Amino acid sequence: MNTFKDVIEKNQAWLCLDCGKCSSVCPITLHLVEGYTSPRLLVEKAVASGENITLEDPLLWSCLTCQRCSEICPSEVDFTAFVQGARRLAFDQGLSGSCTHSGMIQSWMRMMANPALEQDRMGWISNDLSIDQDSDTIYFPGCLPYYDTAFVDLGFEGLEIARGAVKILNALGIQPRILANERCCGHDLYWQGDLETFQQLAALNLEILQNSGAKRVITTCPECAYTLRTTYPEEIGEVGLDVFHISEFLATQPSLLASEGYRGSESRKVTYQDPCRLGRFSGIYQQPRDLIASFGFDLVEMDHNRQTSICCGTSCWSTCGQVNKRIQSSRLEEAGSTGAEMLVTACLKCQIHLLCAQKTPGNGDPSQLPIRDLTTLVAERI
Amino acid sequence: MSKVKTRQNVILFTCNWQAYNSLEAAGRERLSYSTAVVPIRLSCLGRISPGIILKAFEAGAAGVMLVGCPEGQCHYETGNLEAHKVFEESRSLLKLLGYDEKRLEYQLLPAEQGEKYLEVLNHFLDKVENGREKS
Repeated sequence: MNTFKDVIEKNQAWLCLDCGKCSSVCPITLHLVEGYTSPRLLVEKAVASGENITLEDPLLWSCLTCQRCSEICPSEVDFTAFVQGARRLAFDQGLSGSCTHSGMIQSWMRMMANPALEQDRMGWISNDLSIDQDSDTIYFPGCLPYYDTAFVDLGFEGLEIARGAVKILNALGIQPRILANERCCGHDLYWQGDLETFQQLAALNLEILQNSGAKRVITTCPECAYTLRTTYPEEIGEVGLDVFHISEFLATQPSLLASEGYRGSESRKVTYQDPCRLGRFSGIYQQPRDLIASFGFDLVEMDHNRQTSICCGTSCWSTCGQVNKRIQSSRLEEAGSTGAEMLVTACLKCQIHLLCAQKTPGNGDPSQLPIRDLTTLVAERI
Repeated sequence: MSKVKTRQNVILFTCNWQAYNSLEAAGRERLSYSTAVVPIRLSCLGRISPGIILKAFEAGAAGVMLVGCPEGQCHYETGNLEAHKVFEESRSLLKLLGYDEKRLEYQLLPAEQGEKYLEVLNHFLDKVENGREKS
């Protein structure tokens, strides 16, 4: 995919019917009140005018790649993949979206691409957790140790998610292996268009995963799961291991789901935020819901759920501003209006972004509903 | 010439107010320091962020030193305290990345103390050199 024409062709942008269904569901189009931009308009510009205009269009960089538009398109235009392809070309020309958090996250990701790096990332494994470095099951915490450091002030659960995952696996009789030098999966750099660093990270991860002799790898991050399972084979090569998001893996464990002892004494009403990479990208909608129900929680759905779920408002640590905060506030309002006492999600980034929206001054008065990760919620009841 | 080129730079983020005044004082007193040091003057050390510090290491810096004004004497009241939080967070991130924590330093220095400034700077350069030999 070397030219803009290739990007248009591969993602079938030629087939756009100009119907505007994508624009009717795009969260950026809805919440950008200072101007107008929409997926339909961007595709039209791309097809009509060529790359010079499109690569600098704000939507190319503000797109959340949440796949809501691709999902609804009657003509099978894959706008999300089109954005990724266009960003890749733009990145080669030195164009990029603005990095959030002063580029801290992109920096640590790029530093991890150094093959000589020897990380010190195992400090979170507490004595009560049982791990086995010869196990056939790998738990892949991804960048959690880093996010834990960076977002502790938000009240982010951080490494509690990783400890929760190991605790649950231990309860199932599995002592997982934790890789001492795993790298960032490269998801965010890939979706920002930095293919070169993504390939370096992927090659390093593939090497350790393939040489591990393990059979499966379990993540608590939907983006890691999607990237290992789908993007690596598309761009680099097969991982050669079964890849699971933890909610998917636990759904295959009937003993855990059926255990009455884990249900808790009181039923609590919760609502669930579908992460984009778990829901629309991987089709995993039911498993997290089954887990929530089987651990004795009463699930109430938001108006937008499953395929129509709304993104947590920011992606790949790029381009965050007022529009994103409005998307997040509106999603929090929707969660609050269900009457649930807790918002559960299965993605650490959903939690970080929505917590940030709750704590940002000048962002209206969004619902202060507690936000929890599915993994810690389950681990707490075991 | 070649010696300078092969040397990794040390980035010195220094506050515009008292701290930078001391570095200027060193210049006025004709005191010299290593050409590997790249001073970057900030309007206040409180403007530093973990992203900028990591960026310096990503670009290959041997070390990063943050120099602010003495406690209770920040021109904007809390800039040096904000910078300390950033320093702690960055140090944790660097530790996770396997970097020797000696490669990042935080110092608070008063105005008009050129000699003292260079003493602290040279001490840091020694530590960075030692750290580099180990790795």
